[in-house]
Amino acid sequence: MASKNYAEQNRMVPCIQAKDITLTFKPKNRDPVTALKSLTLDVSQGEFVSIVGPSGCGKSTFLNILLGLIKPDTGEMRLNGKQITGPGQERAMVFQEFGLLPWRTVLANIELGLELKGIQPSVRRERGMELIKMAGLTGFENHYPHELSGGMKQRVGLARALATDPEVLLMDEPFAALDAQTRDLMQAELLQIWDRAKKTVIFVTHSIEEAAYLSDRVIVISARPGRTKDVIKIHLPRPRDYEMRLSPEFNEIKAGIWSTLKEELITKRAGDGV
Amino acid sequence: MGFKEKYYEYQRPILGMVSVVGLVILWELVFTYLIPLNPFFFTKPSLIAAAFTEHIIRGSLWSDLVISSRAFISGFSLAIIVGIPIGAVMGWRRRVEYTLDPFLTALYASPLVALAPLLIVVLGVGLVAKVVLVFLLSVFPFIFNTAAGVRATDRLLINVVRSFGGREKDLYLKVIFPSTLPYIVAGARIAIGRGIVGILVGEFYAASEGIGFAISRFGDTYMLPEMFSAILVLMIVAVALTEGLRKLEVVLAPWRVGQEAR
Repeated sequence: MASKNYAEQNRMVPCIQAKDITLTFKPKNRDPVTALKSLTLDVSQGEFVSIVGPSGCGKSTFLNILLGLIKPDTGEMRLNGKQITGPGQERAMVFQEFGLLPWRTVLANIELGLELKGIQPSVRRERGMELIKMAGLTGFENHYPHELSGGMKQRVGLARALATDPEVLLMDEPFAALDAQTRDLMQAELLQIWDRAKKTVIFVTHSIEEAAYLSDRVIVISARPGRTKDVIKIHLPRPRDYEMRLSPEFNEIKAGIWSTLKEELITKRAGDGV
Repeated sequence: MGFKEKYYEYQRPILGMVSVVGLVILWELVFTYLIPLNPFFFTKPSLIAAAFTEHIIRGSLWSDLVISSRAFISGFSLAIIVGIPIGAVMGWRRRVEYTLDPFLTALYASPLVALAPLLIVVLGVGLVAKVVLVFLLSVFPFIFNTAAGVRATDRLLINVVRSFGGREKDLYLKVIFPSTLPYIVAGARIAIGRGIVGILVGEFYAASEGIGFAISRFGDTYMLPEMFSAILVLMIVAVALTEGLRKLEVVLAPWRVGQEAR
């Protein structure tokens, strides 16, 4: 297979290094829950990595640690060799429920990160309008989020994350709330943006198909407590197109991920006592 | 556009007007042709209208209104200044809420106008007692609504702002305050009604001027058309204030209005 994808060319430049991450939630009056246990994961610069796993396996927790909103109990999370201690401009998140501020217009939502960085209004506006154009939101800059469709809301979410020009894009099931067709469209757009902007992407999803289609590597996380169960390289050439998803090769990849994930779903089911 | 479409567009104000005008006409007709009017016990719209015009021309109710407004505005402003911060802290800090809640709930639920005689004994007849009464009645909606608004703030949005590097100050200004604002405005609508009750009761008990005093004096002297015209003035003010707040809500929170309309 003559696939030369971006991550392979840059294999030697590590971007994110998660080492032995363990985190236990200790809710009051309830049993502690170990969300992540000794999770180790390296991601190269410019790589597109998806994380799949049974629900409740700590995927979102992992993203929140990366984002700097939660601190792990033990283990190290490094970005470009530096320990992550809090939120930072090199990382931005796209949220599943969009997380748009309802009292802000589309443009003001996109400018949020720049505003918090203390960037001048005129510069902010210019950058905001650039992203409006890129995200196909022209004409909607003064609309409020409730006036938009789900797909458009997530475009705003994506534009907002890209506004501060982060190195790493964290995506927490960003397309899960969208209908199937919008989802296909957004996936294609994301790949285009990723290809142009050369960001490192960590993409959490439930969908094996989505993970296989988008990623350089798919990480399967085990049922709670979450550990890295398997890493599957996707050797499909880029740029990828929708037709590729119909090929036997693609189905083989999906079957491979599924067989690993299935064991975990069974474990989870046993654990939940379903 | 045809007549029918025009009607459907304005159905709400048209029907509202018809019901009010209809009731007034019915009232007038009943006491003109059906039941002989005993002016000591009741009155009818034409007499009220005459008294109202008379008041307007002489301007006597106007000065009463100014006197009452002064007390109302002072007490209401005090309620805003005190109520919103207390509510904000209650909504944000669970422990503060648990500590204050029993007192506040008891006071909110009880008819505080019962304290009016005591207040007048302690503070005397005049502006101060009225201001305190208005304050006591209208502060609670501000406290409880602000607390509810702060509590209802979406955690996700807090995390969003934090994830983009927002500090504590940004959380307050960019998430908690805008998310609470509509709750405060809704609280203000309730508080206006309660504040007006405070003014009236204060002036009923002991006052020598003001719109409440006017109502009780006209009532005592069986000047019913005059009394009703004073009540009419009060109604107009109350409706204007409440509607004004509704408009303010549209200006302050356009995103919410759009949501409700769906």
